[in-house]
Amino acid sequence: MAPKPRQITIANTGQTIACLPSQTILHAALAAGIDYPYGCASGNCGTCVSQLDSGKIAMLARSDTSLSPDQAKAGRILACRAQPKSDVTLTWLGRGRR
Amino acid sequence: MASTAATRRARACAALLEQVHAITAQHGNTPTALHAIKLKLVGLAKKPGLFPEEDFAMPVAQGRFHPLLVEDNDGLGLYLTINLPGKEAAPHDHGIWCVNAAISGRERHVFYRRTDDGSVPGRAEVVITGEVLVQPGTGTAMSDHDIHSTEVLGTEPAIGLALYGYALARFPSVAFYHPALNSTRTSPSRRHAVPA
Repeated sequence: MAPKPRQITIANTGQTIACLPSQTILHAALAAGIDYPYGCASGNCGTCVSQLDSGKIAMLARSDTSLSPDQAKAGRILACRAQPKSDVTLTWLGRGRR
Repeated sequence: MASTAATRRARACAALLEQVHAITAQHGNTPTALHAIKLKLVGLAKKPGLFPEEDFAMPVAQGRFHPLLVEDNDGLGLYLTINLPGKEAAPHDHGIWCVNAAISGRERHVFYRRTDDGSVPGRAEVVITGEVLVQPGTGTAMSDHDIHSTEVLGTEPAIGLALYGYALARFPSVAFYHPALNSTRTSPSRRHAVPA
């Protein structure tokens, strides 16, 4: 049975898109035509740092410098590393802003 | 008190950078020079007991840089890198030369060439030109604008040495390339940042 897509709501634009559990939220957003901020798209630069407003995600491998433990504790995630484990609402925190 | 390994390591790193300066003074940052530097770095990475795991904390996430010797005044930056299995970096161009050598583990470096003319901001096309598996006894060297991606293979952390033409804190803009999206994004340059 094909995995069920999760519903991802991007608060900045108000759009809700589908994202497979094996897909990253960034890639799903870009594929849907959303101008989500990103840089390395591989967990190194932190450009796509976002606030997880609700829902659960799993994070793929990333560098220590891309997201501090305090940021992670405060619910910040990297959209390029985040795979949804439930329906999710998130807010990107701006280009260059953390 | 500093451990014996730390003292020996500091001496060995200083000696390496002295040799690197001698090479670049004679040959500049040419491929020949970078190859010679790579051989020196591979030699350093192979020295037993210089880089004991207990001296270097593992990443909190999956990738970490430990400064070994960072020169002042826009000098070189030598780091010990630890990347855990699965850690990757999309194709990128540091804007500055780089040499890597493995201490343990395996990391795949894939090299790319940009094929578009750069006339459309944010758009880029790259093609793969080669691949190197960096594992103990080997390394790789990249010129200022070479493009490469990295990925840790296997189940062991990839621990290695990375030497850059500038310290990470003084890096120029890094360009990232995303073949699946035919896009490119750049990070801000740190060349004019006030040193911490």
